[in-house]
Amino acid sequence: MRSNSIAVALGVLGVVFIVVAVLYALGVLQILTSTTSGPHYKHAVLFVVLAVASFVAANFARPKTAV
Amino acid sequence: MGLLQGASELFPVSSLGHAVLVPSLLHWSFKQSDPSFVPFLVLLHLGTATALLVIYREQWVVIVRGFVTAAIRGQMKTDSERLAMLLLVGTIPAAVLGVFLETRIKTLFASPTEAAGFLILNGLLMLGFEALRRRAERGSSRTEQESHFADAERISFRAAALVGACQALAFLPGISRSGITIGGGLLAGLRHQEAARFSFLLATPVILGAGLVEVPELLKSGVPIAEYAAAAVLSGVAAYASARFLLRYFRSGRLDPYGWYCILAGLAALALLHFSL
Repeated sequence: MRSNSIAVALGVLGVVFIVVAVLYALGVLQILTSTTSGPHYKHAVLFVVLAVASFVAANFARPKTAV
Repeated sequence: MGLLQGASELFPVSSLGHAVLVPSLLHWSFKQSDPSFVPFLVLLHLGTATALLVIYREQWVVIVRGFVTAAIRGQMKTDSERLAMLLLVGTIPAAVLGVFLETRIKTLFASPTEAAGFLILNGLLMLGFEALRRRAERGSSRTEQESHFADAERISFRAAALVGACQALAFLPGISRSGITIGGGLLAGLRHQEAARFSFLLATPVILGAGLVEVPELLKSGVPIAEYAAAAVLSGVAAYASARFLLRYFRSGRLDPYGWYCILAGLAALALLHFSL
């Protein structure tokens, strides 16, 4: 299933995950956390991993030009 | 504790269940509700993850290289590239569920009775996995039966994601991570030994990741770090020996003995806890 639009959507999702990771690391975001203050590095690392997975998936979804 | 965790982590008998049950049954002065309990267990898990990294060091080099190559190219061409992507797909559900279910799981840690109950459930699951597997087997000898099943690289992406999600169940004390992932691998059509290999490879990033983010909390908690580190080393040594044994055992062995052990151990623990022995 290769298409440019899917690739772009996954790329955008990756960027969103990066932003969320930064917000968790800075302690700005407190959604679904065990404590309500301070940075949440575990959540941040998770969203970095999700971002990497999204970028990889975006590259897989990108139509390849025939050599 | 280190030896117990390391020895039981890779066996499909739930190290976490044993780590909650055994101190309680032996009246060890270990507070399971203490904030340092989970980070301590995670430190022991780091010992296990190190042992797995040592055992699979050559494979991990190939897997990491395969991951980078396939990610950049946007295509999988070799078995190692496919395995790398399968591990990524399998790791994500466990990581997501682990991070977001952490609080709920920590409250469950405090109850040995629940751990004993989950241990019995774990045993039933092991027996169930083998019962389903037997239906798909052909041939009389174990070698012949196993020869019809696949290598870890051949598992489907959907199955890898499902096996990965099942890993999250292992955050419940009493449910074995290796048991549930080996069982999932068997249902996905892997040979026993390959299901064990996939399970061990899948466990490494989650255990390492969880460990690395918990260690700073452990350092802050004012616990005897040297003692804990020694326990982690012991855990690693026991895990190394266990993994070597299991990979040999699963050439022809099954999950059944571990299933029966979990049921009996869970029942015995419940009885001991009930009569406060």
